[in-house]
Amino acid sequence: MNQADVSKLVSKLRINVLPKHRNLNNPKGPEGRIDKLRKTVTGLIKFERIELNYNRADEARQYAERLISEAIRHGDCHKPTMDTANFWLLEKELIHKLFKVLVPRYEATNLSYTRLISAPQQQYGRHTDKAVLELRGNPFPDLMNYKTNNKLLIQNVLLDAAKQDYKQSKINEIANNIGKKGNSSLDKSSKNIEVPEKPTES
Amino acid sequence: MIPRLTHIVQLMKNVERNLFHMFGYPPKELALAYVHDYKPATPAKKFSINDIVGDGFLLAVPKFRRTTERKLKRKFGSPEYVWKMLVPKNNIKVCETCGHHHEKGRLCEHCYSKVKAETEEIQAKIKEKLGINPIEHDVVVLYQGETLPDEPKEFWKGKRIIEMKKERPQWFSKNLLQKTTQKPSKSTDVKPTDLA
Repeated sequence: MNQADVSKLVSKLRINVLPKHRNLNNPKGPEGRIDKLRKTVTGLIKFERIELNYNRADEARQYAERLISEAIRHGDCHKPTMDTANFWLLEKELIHKLFKVLVPRYEATNLSYTRLISAPQQQYGRHTDKAVLELRGNPFPDLMNYKTNNKLLIQNVLLDAAKQDYKQSKINEIANNIGKKGNSSLDKSSKNIEVPEKPTES
Repeated sequence: MIPRLTHIVQLMKNVERNLFHMFGYPPKELALAYVHDYKPATPAKKFSINDIVGDGFLLAVPKFRRTTERKLKRKFGSPEYVWKMLVPKNNIKVCETCGHHHEKGRLCEHCYSKVKAETEEIQAKIKEKLGINPIEHDVVVLYQGETLPDEPKEFWKGKRIIEMKKERPQWFSKNLLQKTTQKPSKSTDVKPTDLA
């Protein structure tokens, strides 16, 4: 079928949304739940990285993603979007941040706006499933090491080339020495070639 | 001799009593009340534990025998639900950065503690600078000895620049081969930025 994929024309979140929401036990019922989530979304936009219970994090993440995607789609001159932002962000200076900082940051991205990673579990005591919820592109150190053991990373390519060069230079050195001094020097230098000093790799 | 005498005396007494009795003496009101030894059958008392215990108290004791199946379930649990035996964990991985062990699908505890501490430090600094003014710019975090990316001075006016009063931790290094805290050289070559 030569038809455009309709699902790609419609805006959709780049995260997995459960078929049913979590109730998040609250004495005040659904309103209490929303209040709780508003606080969480506000905190996320403010601090850019928070640690909290997994269920609450996942639930808040969906609202935050929706909020940011609406902000990107409609901009700040759209009243319903502004109202949504006003509802979800309890600290009003964050509305400016949403439209002036986060929208430019995520306009061109292909990925989700937030990242949710399970935090290490307590080894002893009561197990609570914790998670770290963060906005992408935050100024904090990375939570995970995303750049290990990738051969094609430019640093690793350069390091490999440097190693190769070093080895080659050593071999050349030995080859030059062979003609000059005879066998005795060959023995010494042949030991060197077995254990060439590696350039430090971090 | 004496028994016979007593027998006769007894007889005489009997006759005397009978004679008197015939004429209504002694009067019946003064007669001895005779109580027959007959006891009517009382209803059997019901058994009560209080008769045995009295003021004391009883401890709980099993009433019925536990079957073998129940006993084993209690002891070992059920593999489908709660299995009480020690089971080796197969989801432990070695962290690629630090070499500590961590659960698969979760952050490494050792690395995360470092990152968390640093993050909290930066967050505190950011919060310090945060007023009630609207937030309009992204944060730039600078460690000691670091310079701002090459932009005219006007560009940085009003931007949120957070200065940490310490050197950039090595594990938070942006570049792999060079220390970011080193002094900028005077060469005019264009430095690659944000390689990874």
